[in-house]
Amino acid sequence: MKTPADPASELRNAAMSRRHFLRGIGACVALPTFGSLLSAKALGAVTSDLRLATTATGAPLRTAFVFFPNGAIPSRWWPGGAEPAFSLSPTLQPLEPVSRYIQVLGGLAHANANPGNDGGGDHARGNSVFLTGVRINKSATDIRAGVSIDQVIANHVGHLTRFPSIELCCDATRKSADCDSGYSCAYQYNISWQSPTTPMTPESNPRLAFERLFGEGPHGERAKNAQRRMMERRSVLDFVMADARDMQQRLAKRDQEKLDQYLTGIRDVEKRIQKAEQFGPNVDPDQPTPAGIPAKQVEYVELMYDIMLLAFKTDSTRVATFVLGHDGDNRSFSEIGITEGHHDLSHHQNNPERIDKVAQIDRWYVEQFSRFLARMDSIPDVDGHSLLHNSRIIYGSGNADGNRHTHENLPVLLAGNGGGAFHGGRFVQHGAKPLSNLFLNLADTAGVTGLSHFGDSTGRLANV
Amino acid sequence: MRKTHSCKRTHSPRVAALRVFALLSAAAMSASMACRAGESALASFNRDIEPVLDQYCYDCHGAGFNKGGVDLDDFHNDSDVRNHALWWRVMKNVRAGIMPPAGKPRVPPEDVKRLMTWIKLEAFSLDPAHPDPGRVTVRRLNRVEYRNTIRALTGVEFDTLKEFPADDTGQGFDNIADVLTISPMLLERYLDSAQTIIAQVVPTQPRVVAEQLLPGKQFATLKAEEPDVLPGAAPAPGAGAEREKDGASGSPAKGPFKRPAPKAVGDALDLSYYTPAIVAATYKATHPGKYQVYVNLKAVENYVDDQFDLNRCRLVFKVDGETLISQEFVRESDKTLEFTFDRSWQPGDHPLTFEVQPIGPDRDQKRLLRLRLNAVTVRGPMAPEFWVQPATYAQFFPRNVPFWPVSRRKYAAELLGGFATRAFRRPVDPETVDRLVAMASSVSSQPGGTFEAGVAQAMVAVLASPRFIFRDEEVEPLRPGQVDPFIDEFSLASRLSYLFWSSMPDDELFRLAGKGELRAQLPAQVARMLADKRSSEFISNFTGQWLEARDIANVQISPFAVYLREHPDPEVEKAIDTFRRLNRVAEEKRTPEEKEAFSNARKAFFTLIRSPKAQLTDSLREAMRRETEMVFAYVIKGDRSLSELIESNYTFLNEDLAKHYGIQGVVGPQMRKVMLPADSPRGGVITQGTVLAVTSNPTRTSPVKRGVFILDAILGTRPPPPPPNIPALEDAASPEKLRTMTLRENLALHATNKTCAACHSRMDPLGLALENFNAMGMWRDAEMNRPIDPGGRLITGETFSNVRELKHILATAHLRDFYYCITEKMLTYALGRTLDYYDVETVDHIVEQLEASGGRSSVLLQGIVNSAPFQQRRQPGTRQFADGSAREPSLLTATNDHAHEDPR
Repeated sequence: MKTPADPASELRNAAMSRRHFLRGIGACVALPTFGSLLSAKALGAVTSDLRLATTATGAPLRTAFVFFPNGAIPSRWWPGGAEPAFSLSPTLQPLEPVSRYIQVLGGLAHANANPGNDGGGDHARGNSVFLTGVRINKSATDIRAGVSIDQVIANHVGHLTRFPSIELCCDATRKSADCDSGYSCAYQYNISWQSPTTPMTPESNPRLAFERLFGEGPHGERAKNAQRRMMERRSVLDFVMADARDMQQRLAKRDQEKLDQYLTGIRDVEKRIQKAEQFGPNVDPDQPTPAGIPAKQVEYVELMYDIMLLAFKTDSTRVATFVLGHDGDNRSFSEIGITEGHHDLSHHQNNPERIDKVAQIDRWYVEQFSRFLARMDSIPDVDGHSLLHNSRIIYGSGNADGNRHTHENLPVLLAGNGGGAFHGGRFVQHGAKPLSNLFLNLADTAGVTGLSHFGDSTGRLANV
Repeated sequence: MRKTHSCKRTHSPRVAALRVFALLSAAAMSASMACRAGESALASFNRDIEPVLDQYCYDCHGAGFNKGGVDLDDFHNDSDVRNHALWWRVMKNVRAGIMPPAGKPRVPPEDVKRLMTWIKLEAFSLDPAHPDPGRVTVRRLNRVEYRNTIRALTGVEFDTLKEFPADDTGQGFDNIADVLTISPMLLERYLDSAQTIIAQVVPTQPRVVAEQLLPGKQFATLKAEEPDVLPGAAPAPGAGAEREKDGASGSPAKGPFKRPAPKAVGDALDLSYYTPAIVAATYKATHPGKYQVYVNLKAVENYVDDQFDLNRCRLVFKVDGETLISQEFVRESDKTLEFTFDRSWQPGDHPLTFEVQPIGPDRDQKRLLRLRLNAVTVRGPMAPEFWVQPATYAQFFPRNVPFWPVSRRKYAAELLGGFATRAFRRPVDPETVDRLVAMASSVSSQPGGTFEAGVAQAMVAVLASPRFIFRDEEVEPLRPGQVDPFIDEFSLASRLSYLFWSSMPDDELFRLAGKGELRAQLPAQVARMLADKRSSEFISNFTGQWLEARDIANVQISPFAVYLREHPDPEVEKAIDTFRRLNRVAEEKRTPEEKEAFSNARKAFFTLIRSPKAQLTDSLREAMRRETEMVFAYVIKGDRSLSELIESNYTFLNEDLAKHYGIQGVVGPQMRKVMLPADSPRGGVITQGTVLAVTSNPTRTSPVKRGVFILDAILGTRPPPPPPNIPALEDAASPEKLRTMTLRENLALHATNKTCAACHSRMDPLGLALENFNAMGMWRDAEMNRPIDPGGRLITGETFSNVRELKHILATAHLRDFYYCITEKMLTYALGRTLDYYDVETVDHIVEQLEASGGRSSVLLQGIVNSAPFQQRRQPGTRQFADGSAREPSLLTATNDHAHEDPR
């Protein structure tokens, strides 16, 4: 599987021991204390900030979006029985231990992922419309999507934490050649968009994701190393900022957009440096840095979930996105005895054997999600509730039925109680409503103000 | 929309030029095509084009019909009829013979020519005398280019494939300017990498403690037990019992136990856990004093899913006979092991030895456990009088640092000006140099600061600058008669070097650009650059993406599933079904009969799983990728005919790959050119292992994917994607029947549905012609016990009975399509932008020259580097579009209807 030219498999070769990594979680990370959180907020200036991304008790309110590829077999996904007395479906069965935190949301749709006048490309759209709700420009090179909801929230609450948001994925290898039907691959690998033309590239390497959050080197040296990185970055900021502005002035309009991306990044770094002064030394989890990408997919996924958990637990960020696999992903799941590719299988042509295999893959993804939720539930937050209680985690896909490429009645779950704002253990049929409506609710409860609509929203969702 | 150059506005010199050209062209074909003064595009359409379309197209695309959303007679004014997207599609489909569809009368060549000329001159308003170079967005380095540029600039090997996120792609390439974005995370990486790279190579002190690296491979093997000297699973009596007490329990090794000798791996030396061995090297101290010995090892293993290797060993490290390390190792999961020791040494030889002592009993060698000795580094003597200049000092600081501040500043300006000029790939302005020197001085003047540290910090700023990360292009002044200016020679140097080397220009290109002589020496420079070994970057990056050869490293193919398709066995299949079914039942819930059935099925299943089967090993995948690259390099560097990429009597193989292909007489691991037997199905890209494997599904071949590949990468006529909700094949045949059908029979069902047939009649025959090659690219005569029939008929009418005949058809009757395809792909790669309607003249011109030259590859490369889009930049303001920007509404937003052919 490996050649030296291939980064992913080389990293996989590192075969890190995930157990070592996991041992640290829960036990060894010093949580910021309640008091320090509050005083940090006070430092953050205005009192209205207290309402931002904060639960009723004053604990941090986290928002995450977890994306799984190729939709789910509808008949195996949707719960049986009438709401509220419903029973978990075969695919969702693994959520049983945490079901009191789960809302199964029926009837939500992304009309802008439908072909409309754009023809093929449901996977590219499924991916990039998922958190933006807009119609994306059909082009292999002229990429235009919209600002995604995680970035809308991060823009409002990002200043409260070291990182406005983090973006993770388990897509370590990219395929060559064209992506979906004339859409740029940028659409198919990114769900988070900072601007219509700037995707927030997700990190696929657990080592780099960890080092970005906590610093390089072994435990004990990370805070110092992170501090050194900050100083080093600061030392070149003035120079490169002047260069970028100078260059931007000389360039044509389209080129200026590219320099804008550069300058936005520079300003982000500047803000982070200011925040470092505000927040004091980095948190340094007492666990080894992940060595790279684990060879087994189950460990890879779990490790990425762990990093998201650590980021939330240490209040390094309150907004995260995680792409388990891009829409159209054709990974085979030899670990559960499925040698065919996921995407190939998803066009099952109503063959029962293939349907069964796709449902097994859907369930496999739910199992990983459930394990992550259970870990989130086992960790007490600063207010004594669990991390899961104080989070809102959307789990879903951009296609409903992968076989037919539909985008109505999308498989979407809301996990976590949002600090008490949401009530789990329910199956709610919302009728045919845009998924974007739910995003407005999430933005509202995070304290985002002045957002009258988002994507193709038609209003707020009732009964969440 | 673009300002149009219609015949009405004859006062413009540009339009006059167009008129002249149009008249000249017209003389060559049909006098009635001439653009008459005062005539509109609509009028010429109505007079010259509509009659042709009426005869050949309007049955489906006019007179009220608009099949596939294409209507060719609904035009009311000039702006209607100048629909670029529409006519571009018409052009491509007619040219490739896709339209009119099979079975309908073909358009006669003179009418095709009339149509093409009208499209270019009237619908597109192109001015062949002044081709529109289009515009390229400012391009950031992709991660391959960044890595190579850093290597050329500093000598540092910085592994961007690990450290940077993957670049997004467009049109199948990862160097498309518009798609190369910078997220905040990547920007951070740029800042941090600049620091890391400079810290790694630029000294911050004039003198440092001397350091000598003894790489693992320099350690000589003094003793290594021969294989099988120690009988497997039979530890000496007594010793075994003692070891059992150590806690080494478990069953001993079953199979033959191998004892690999110490082996050099790159600069390192691998010491097997399983082999008693001693390796040694000597450090020669020249002065008495304090020294430091630093040992760097790594525990490595060949990872195997769910199989653990329980072997153990002890490692002993001695210096001057004194034991400094004596440590036991089990499997350590790629852990890095570092040790540091302080020594006081007299001048003379100091032996360093490592000894591996396996700890029995021998267990199954599941993961080939090794201790990899990377290096021993000796630092010293520590006393300042023995300090030396750092190894890379002269590379960055060619002279001693002057004493006086003014001279120092001048020296700093010289160093930083030179570095920034190379890094920015163009002369740097004095103001920038001043800023860099000021930065360096401020760092130097801090407590503990050195001159070198200041310069190094300013170099970090250079590598973090957008002028390094982006390719900043400038243009020359307009020359008389030019509408669009040339890019300046430094920009041209970069365009060439990033095209052929994926790296920055070298000294020679800089020198020529500095003197303004590069453009004049272009052919010689292109030849030089191709001959240079750095051109391997072009070869691998272009073929890696055009032919998807990169993907061979990771493509998932199940050897087990492939084996079963060629060795079908109902008994085994039944056993697998039983195993899978009962495996889902909890063990305690199985009935005794089920338990027995499970046990038998399991046995059968694992016997098959463990039986030797062909598989794509790492080295085989590597050989396949090399084959694709070497064939392309051979054609490009030898200025051979591009048709050899489709059909040839040679290929490049090593022993492994030749065996995989069933070709005799190739011995040894090195790749070399091999002449193929006369009846060999190999030769040409479509029967290379890379293509055959990356277009397969994990469990079987995919004639559809293979057909799409040939349409896209060879013929340049990629079909639209499949519609969602493909009708169940059960509608056409019973499930029982489907189970026993061959892929050919299965695909034949496409013909029963008109929607499917529209595209599948194009791709299926191409893909089915390759059915003699399994998902791993190996030859086979039968699948599922049914003989394979590779014959077929192309939609353009040609018939073939095997893949050799198909290749011959592609290399003759469709050679022009291939010229178009490879020209468009390579031009896209060279420009870093998508092609647009205004590029058709450039492409047509290159294809004409290719045809005239018998497809010589140099004609393609020279054609590209000499083309307007490669040489020039669109002059701002000359071609204004409706929204006031230089950007035209993208053609790619055009409707892409499933029910119809789409040229992309």
